[in-house]
Amino acid sequence: MKELSVAEFGRRIAHLIVSLFILLLVTFVIGRVLPADPVGAIVGELADPAAYAAVRQRLGLDLPVYEQFFIYLKGLAHGDFGTAILTGNPVSADLAQAFPATFELATLAVVISTFVGVPLGLVAALFRDRLIDKIARVVSLVGHSIPVFWFGIVGLVVFYAGLNWVGGPGRVDVYYEGIVTPRTGLLLVDSLLQGETDIFWNALGHIILPAFILAYAAVAYITRMTRSFTLEQLGQDYVIAARAKGVGPARTIVGHVLPNIAVQLITILAISYGGLLEGAVVTEIVFSWPGIGQYMTNALMIGDMNAILAATIIVGFFFMLLNFLADIAYAVFDPRTREAAR
Amino acid sequence: MKHFSKAMLIGSAIGMLTLAAPQLQAATPKDQLVIGTSLAQVLSLDPQQATEPKALEILANLYDRLVATTADGRIVPQLAESWADDGKSLTLKLRDAAFVSGNPVTANDVVFSLTRLMKLNQSGSSYFKRIGYSAETIANQIHAVDAKTVRIDLTDKVTADGLLYRLALGVSSIVDSAEVQKHMANDDSGNAWLRTHSAGSGPFTLNKWTPNEIVILDANKTYVGGAPKMRRVIIRHVPESQVERLMLDRGDIDIGNALSKSDLETFETKGNFVIQRVPTGGFYVLAMNAGNQYLANPKVREAIAYGIDYKGIEKTIMGPYGRARNIPVPENFEYALPNPDWHLDVAKAKQLLAEAGFKDGFSLTLKTISQTPRIDLATAIQASLGQIGIKVEIQQGNGSEIIAAHRARNFDLLLPQTSALMPNVLGSMDDFANNPDNRLEANNAGNFAWRSAWDIPGLTALVEKTSVEPDAKKRTELYTQMQQMFVDLKPALLPLFERFEPLVLSARVKGYLAHPNQMTRLENVTKADAE
Repeated sequence: MKELSVAEFGRRIAHLIVSLFILLLVTFVIGRVLPADPVGAIVGELADPAAYAAVRQRLGLDLPVYEQFFIYLKGLAHGDFGTAILTGNPVSADLAQAFPATFELATLAVVISTFVGVPLGLVAALFRDRLIDKIARVVSLVGHSIPVFWFGIVGLVVFYAGLNWVGGPGRVDVYYEGIVTPRTGLLLVDSLLQGETDIFWNALGHIILPAFILAYAAVAYITRMTRSFTLEQLGQDYVIAARAKGVGPARTIVGHVLPNIAVQLITILAISYGGLLEGAVVTEIVFSWPGIGQYMTNALMIGDMNAILAATIIVGFFFMLLNFLADIAYAVFDPRTREAAR
Repeated sequence: MKHFSKAMLIGSAIGMLTLAAPQLQAATPKDQLVIGTSLAQVLSLDPQQATEPKALEILANLYDRLVATTADGRIVPQLAESWADDGKSLTLKLRDAAFVSGNPVTANDVVFSLTRLMKLNQSGSSYFKRIGYSAETIANQIHAVDAKTVRIDLTDKVTADGLLYRLALGVSSIVDSAEVQKHMANDDSGNAWLRTHSAGSGPFTLNKWTPNEIVILDANKTYVGGAPKMRRVIIRHVPESQVERLMLDRGDIDIGNALSKSDLETFETKGNFVIQRVPTGGFYVLAMNAGNQYLANPKVREAIAYGIDYKGIEKTIMGPYGRARNIPVPENFEYALPNPDWHLDVAKAKQLLAEAGFKDGFSLTLKTISQTPRIDLATAIQASLGQIGIKVEIQQGNGSEIIAAHRARNFDLLLPQTSALMPNVLGSMDDFANNPDNRLEANNAGNFAWRSAWDIPGLTALVEKTSVEPDAKKRTELYTQMQQMFVDLKPALLPLFERFEPLVLSARVKGYLAHPNQMTRLENVTKADAE
């Protein structure tokens, strides 16, 4: 980090803010062009036009779109995301509840996909065109091409309804609802902190299947990329030199190849992580997971713009943050970037 | 390989932990009822605001009303122990009951609640506006005679019976006025607070509502009718039908609704489940816009009535959800007329179109909410009408889009659904036969017939006359006339199927009696192993 100049750091932050602004603008315009009608959702199907107009006015929907956007930005500048129609709560409060659920799921998924995908990719590269490589290829192809929705249902049929190995939809069994006080919002962490081991096991039983299913699609990607990065390195002179000196395959991989592909891998993992956060939408619906994906879907259904915009900002911000962190990680892992920054 | 083996170690550790975790409980607790459903449409739990079916199911257990209707449509006492009418007003005597807060239920709470309904002026108030009550006049129409007596004046548009049925609706729930007044802000009648809290005298209280996740109701141990048998009722959001089916199978939920036809059918042969097919008294309807150049012609509308394969659709698509019926009065209601002779008859439909001057057919759009079973219904209608030369283009959307288009008369054909206000001819025809002012400027968007630009002064007058006819025998004749006139007009609101809500119950659940208006009460529900 020290190597990163202040100017460079500032430039990247500015970049982040501009990107977020554009993201906001685009989302806002799309949201307003959609024919969804939040007023109808509030007043009900049989309400008369006077009641309808009153609510429309209260929500500020009678103003021109640019004015609505300006008012929204003004609120945002004061840290006010507005109120969600769906829940009647401040959007920030809703997101504080929904985001950790998605974050917990996506984080576990990225951990799983890393610990499965990277080794699988390395092994596939080492044993190129052998049986293990072919298996890896099929595994990743399947993960890439079969929709998460289908996997989710089949996973539930087999491991939940059939084998009884995992918990069903939701974050925890219903009778454990509302016992753990949310501190971090991550149920696995909170339950352990509060000594509720029963709930921890129950929550783990609930999260493991959606996390694996979410991870599978990412595994496919990570495996393929790791394999191709490794193959590229295996053909390099330094590897051949190392092997010629009598270094074994394991030490070659761990001591030489891994450090060299680390930077590329970090990029891939960061992208996957971001992808998992937004890609959790379908998984969340199948598993009744009360996360940001489901929150956004429902908000979209009734045209609840405050909720949609705030959720977009959070996911977008997180995505950009990951990229930003990956950039910084380069500097740590790659001596060349370090030199250049100097 | 050091890192690799470490990774493998951690990976397998997670796997082992999962397998070694304590065996997951396979059945719901015997003193808690768990219901799986879609909570996506539940936006408010303010009883004077919410009209969505799933919200009503919750509210029915948080609040009492003055009177209730039984599943077979009789009016029975709830907070009112008796009532009398003198033709001019309805006087109700309250029983000794208390709110969860401990405050007694008084006539003032009744006046407060019904006034609040009119002042909030949302969808639910339309039931009373239509019969002559309004935010401006309500103060002079409802009176607290003493602490336990309420008098409501009748208008020239309603009989005591018609009013009682409206007092049994969810929107007429009695709220704790002292409690609500504590939480009023910005002249909102306490709406912001009551949306997410309960202040009732019903058998349950609201413990927790997390939108699109869960609703938890706790038993009200001091309930006037005795403490409910279940300690808690948990309603869990399960938007996917297949997932709900698995949860039922595993025993993680006791009751499941919102199941698709195919998922529902898997329970027909399973001994440990019971299927209830609840008649709603409502209909799946083909709304035609009579403002459309083709659909304005009754002959075209009749051609369409002959251009739909009701029986085929009932068999392949509607299944447990609907029964073919073209008069908006369920067949089993008293005084219901037999169905008119509308069935798929391509030759006759084509002849009618030719008589109307559209021998070569024409094109229409059909708007529908993309939801089971309506989306399949739309496809079947498209195919069916294609045979008689009407080319239909389907436009799908979510609820708010389609309802907005409906309200704005911005459609050719549209597939709404209705529910019955009262379990009699008058109640079930309410949405179909009433359009006092068809002008565009009237902007009566809450009214189904207005939305279809269907100008029916004769039928409207007949309905109004029937609503206030005191003589039972004459009323019976008028019921017949209403239905006959509806058919003769070749309705722009064509009922297609009577609407049923199927649900699956675990055989452990006892005493669950689903209510046609979604006002199912849960205080007597218990489980076989809890007794």
